[in-house]
Amino acid sequence: MRLTLRALISHGRVARRIGLGPESRINMLRNILTGLVRHERIETTRARADEVRFYAEKLIDYAKKGDTNEKSMKMADFWLTEKDLIPKLFQVLAVRFENQTGGYTRMARIPNRENLDRASMAVLEYKGNPFPPLFPVKRVSELNLLNQLLKAYREEKAQMVSEKKDL
Amino acid sequence: MAACTGRTTMGLLRIFRNYPQYERLLSTSLLRHNVTSDGPPKFTPPSKPVIIDKTQKEASLRRFLSPEFIPPRQRTNPVKFSIERKDMIQRRKVLNIPEFYAGSILAVTMTDPHVNGNLNRFVGICIQRSGKGLGATFILRNVVDGQGVEICYELYSPRMRKIEVLKLEKRLDDNLMYLRDALPEYSTFDFDMQPVHYEITGDVPVNLLKVKMRPKPWSKRWERPKFNIKGIRFDLCLTPEMMEHAQKWSEPWRPYDMLKEYDTSSLEEQIFKEVQENLKK
Repeated sequence: MRLTLRALISHGRVARRIGLGPESRINMLRNILTGLVRHERIETTRARADEVRFYAEKLIDYAKKGDTNEKSMKMADFWLTEKDLIPKLFQVLAVRFENQTGGYTRMARIPNRENLDRASMAVLEYKGNPFPPLFPVKRVSELNLLNQLLKAYREEKAQMVSEKKDL
Repeated sequence: MAACTGRTTMGLLRIFRNYPQYERLLSTSLLRHNVTSDGPPKFTPPSKPVIIDKTQKEASLRRFLSPEFIPPRQRTNPVKFSIERKDMIQRRKVLNIPEFYAGSILAVTMTDPHVNGNLNRFVGICIQRSGKGLGATFILRNVVDGQGVEICYELYSPRMRKIEVLKLEKRLDDNLMYLRDALPEYSTFDFDMQPVHYEITGDVPVNLLKVKMRPKPWSKRWERPKFNIKGIRFDLCLTPEMMEHAQKWSEPWRPYDMLKEYDTSSLEEQIFKEVQENLKK
């Protein structure tokens, strides 16, 4: 959730005001979402990424109902401004998230934009994309000397405790 | 016995000829004859027929959940609504609150300390149902002596005595507030109206009546797409240019905004089950 005072006392407001009005907001989100479905990982300002994230997940939920469903087809047709992406949504993304309920996207903060306006930026991606991972993977270094010594120490201590118990 | 086939009747007649004292056996009531052979037969009324229509199962009955049971979409603690639901069910065990919709004609009897006999009865068309939980209300409208009267009743008010559905039907819209600006004949109803029979199964009949409006100005601009009203003859009171101008306020993206969706189907199912179980207890 957003941790601002404005969100804390929301008075029923659930959406940010973006762009030049409600229609402009929806059109902006449509364009960003189309880019997300095409490239599977995009970089935008943080507020927009956060706003698109909900729609990106809902679109997958609709796509899972299948392309024979009238409503889901209408939704896909509206939200994807480039129509060649509709088959991708139903045949690639929906299939990828078949066994998953929710949490199809990942968002990460990146440093502020330097060149234009120092806006706070974020990366938004669909999970399971072919790109290198956003967060570094934890290296497993079991055979490291230090780790081996620690392991031996832990074993010795466990043995001492068990001996104490026996006495 | 008259329904017997020819051959058997002939056989029976032969038997009767042999035993003439049992001539009265020909009467349709064998048993009565045996019991009261001495005096005149007493009249025993036939048992009342119990009509059981086996084609009507419980599944075919209309499933109706009053709209005030469904909590609104907000951040209020759901416990509040579940507690209110319990109270509503307790009230429903005492007071019969029938199924009705905006557009149905109702008669409501309320306790009123300022009236002779403490009871006040009002008949009118339900133009709006609003509110959730215990505070749910509905508005009845009628024209009395040429004066439009609207009364807002609380469904679960302790003063409520009786709610009768005189005519169960729906209209083209879920909110009939535009009757205020329509000709008075559309909201005039007789106080001595007799209730019209309605079916418990199948769909609720929809009245496709389109009302004629008084000339503008109206209380609201009903032609705007926000209201999405189908029950007004706009062609009589507005020019095509005015109708087209009203489309300026249409929001074609609204049905696609997933943030605004509120799917209550699963919630409705769950609450319906809960209400049915508790009402039986």
